[in-house]
Amino acid sequence: MYPEPTNLWERIEYSTLGTTIAESTWMFPALETAHVIALVTVIGTIALVDLRLVGVKGHALRVSQLAKDTLPLTWGAFALAALTGGLLFCSKASSYMINPWFLGKMALLALAGLNMMYFHMTTWRTVEHWEQDPSFPTMAKVAGWLSLVFWLGVVFCGRAIGFTLGIFY
Amino acid sequence: MGDLLYNFTQWLYSTPLNQFAQSMSESALSLWIVERFWAIPIMQVTHILGIAGSFAAVLMLNMRVFNLAGHATLAETSARYTKVLWWSLAVIILSGGLMLFGDTVRNLLNSIFWIKMVLVVTAVLLALGFARGLRRQSAVNDRVSGGTKALAIFLVVLWCVIMLCGRWIAYAPS
Repeated sequence: MYPEPTNLWERIEYSTLGTTIAESTWMFPALETAHVIALVTVIGTIALVDLRLVGVKGHALRVSQLAKDTLPLTWGAFALAALTGGLLFCSKASSYMINPWFLGKMALLALAGLNMMYFHMTTWRTVEHWEQDPSFPTMAKVAGWLSLVFWLGVVFCGRAIGFTLGIFY
Repeated sequence: MGDLLYNFTQWLYSTPLNQFAQSMSESALSLWIVERFWAIPIMQVTHILGIAGSFAAVLMLNMRVFNLAGHATLAETSARYTKVLWWSLAVIILSGGLMLFGDTVRNLLNSIFWIKMVLVVTAVLLALGFARGLRRQSAVNDRVSGGTKALAIFLVVLWCVIMLCGRWIAYAPS
């Protein structure tokens, strides 16, 4: 029997969905597995484009073509990561909301999104003009490095959550 | 399934691997890792990044094989992504090896860990054959055979099962 929820996070945690996931022996690890598969797809495909932006060549493929090729995988996997992440959150919502690593992960996700949005609204608009140059514009390199750092931070925080969840009570 | 995994783990405890794992867990490197709270998470992050590189390379090869990405020849695509694959595998092996020292007994005497190892070796061998097949077909007519397409899908599934095993090592019955 669960106590009466006192805030929104407890309301989510003690919901039928939250308690079903928390009480199941297989649901949490299964969701974790799907979350990891989705996250490595997001990070791997984003890193391919970011590494190209920061100057790791290794091939002659245009960065606009590379971005076009990776985009369906990135967004598809991001949708799966968000869904599985949301379900994992439901099972321990109040513990996650007081965990600084979880909050850090969410902040870094937001920063990664803002960085991508800003880059696409500015430097990326003229990609046809510079993608065949020997060196990309500084802003493209900055966006690539920032993206790599933010996503590395997302993975680190994600792993740190597993080692610290429940110790902040 | 649970019983099978449990019995496999129990059998591992009865082999000389048990003593080997115990002595490995008392090594200087193992103790150094265990005494540092952030050592294991950092190695796991590195391991995840290696897996991200490998899996992304396999997915991009699949996209090309099924004509869903790029206009480069099969040979060019294969050369581009097999390079990513091998570098990522090197990261996986290095970080995985260090992680083994960090939690020796739980890994070496774990049924799912050994299933994962067999699958990783299989994935590497199949990836070698896959890359060679792509180069050969590129030299002929740049068309992909049904067998290569099936292998491409199988490699994605195999990597997913490897990741599943990696996650479930922590939940293996022992």
